[in-house]
Amino acid sequence: MDMLVYPQLATGALSQFPIRKQHRKRTVVNTAADGTSIKLADPNGELTQWQLAYADLSDAEAGALEQFYSAAEGTLNSFVFLDPSGNLLAWSSKLDDEVWTPGPLLSVIGGISDPDGGTEAWRLTNSSAGAQDIIQTLEAPAGYFYCLSAYVRSAQAVSAAMLIGNGRADRTVANQWTRIVFAFSGDATASSIHFGLEVPSASSLDVFGLQVEPQGAASAYKATTTGGVYQDARLADDVLAITTTGVNRHSCTVNIIHAKHL
Amino acid sequence: MRYVLFRNQTVRFVDGTEQRYRDASGPLHRWGIRLSELDEGEIAAVEEFFAANQGEFGSFAFTDPWNGQVYNNCSLLGESLDVQTVAETRGGTTLTVVENRG
Repeated sequence: MDMLVYPQLATGALSQFPIRKQHRKRTVVNTAADGTSIKLADPNGELTQWQLAYADLSDAEAGALEQFYSAAEGTLNSFVFLDPSGNLLAWSSKLDDEVWTPGPLLSVIGGISDPDGGTEAWRLTNSSAGAQDIIQTLEAPAGYFYCLSAYVRSAQAVSAAMLIGNGRADRTVANQWTRIVFAFSGDATASSIHFGLEVPSASSLDVFGLQVEPQGAASAYKATTTGGVYQDARLADDVLAITTTGVNRHSCTVNIIHAKHL
Repeated sequence: MRYVLFRNQTVRFVDGTEQRYRDASGPLHRWGIRLSELDEGEIAAVEEFFAANQGEFGSFAFTDPWNGQVYNNCSLLGESLDVQTVAETRGGTTLTVVENRG
């Protein structure tokens, strides 16, 4: 696998606070004297930029960043970057979208009441004799430490499996909304990894807020459309300045950009 | 912050008198919205809204928080959305909404 990926810290997190993220969209605007305007969108002008400030990095963590900078040769080479503040899954609230692959005998029905008071939850019904799953595959480094989380409930108590690559964890699903969480690191040699839920035979469960984050614990649910995996991201600077503030304590700031037109 | 913007023209004559006229059919409104203490879900919702509108390209209905009046044709102002998260559930950003004419 030759995919260059941005390194995680020893904790499994990708960054520290504060995180600054900037989205830029380009629109050509022609404004007339009376204030009316004609607009032309330029979707390829989209740019996303992160500023990641690190403090108290260990020697190993600072070394990993330095090594990554060398491998990327500053701004020269692209790499895969996972949004540290985002949900990596695409269409996390639309389980009938084509990014999701449901088992052939799994029924997926939307419009179910969710724990936030809306109707964004989904009912997964497996009437077959074997387990059925629904998964989404991401072109992301499988060796990363990921956290999969979801809100689930079921009329009867069942045990659902959470899937991260070749890892799985059984979680009990009760009749009240409960958030289930599974953190796992997959096969480091693979260049893609799948995430999902497995529904046992002859059972049904309601699901809301499926989320994958590149860290060890779940944060608040973020509904997505595009997901948080950025192929062809680049460092914004050719210089990495690391300040050593003590023994085994380093700090630095890394700027990363992702532009559709690059 | 809330702004009301008129577009008037002034012609000043040699003797100091002025003639003024409207350059537009009426005022336009603008709202500056500063958001702080946002949790990750709220930040994501703002980001999705910005993306769905393609920045300042799209239009939407906006309810004036001062009086509840709905302005049906509004857009975001500016090409960028800058989100800063200083800690868990402590994110912030600033948006400007403008009323469009026509």
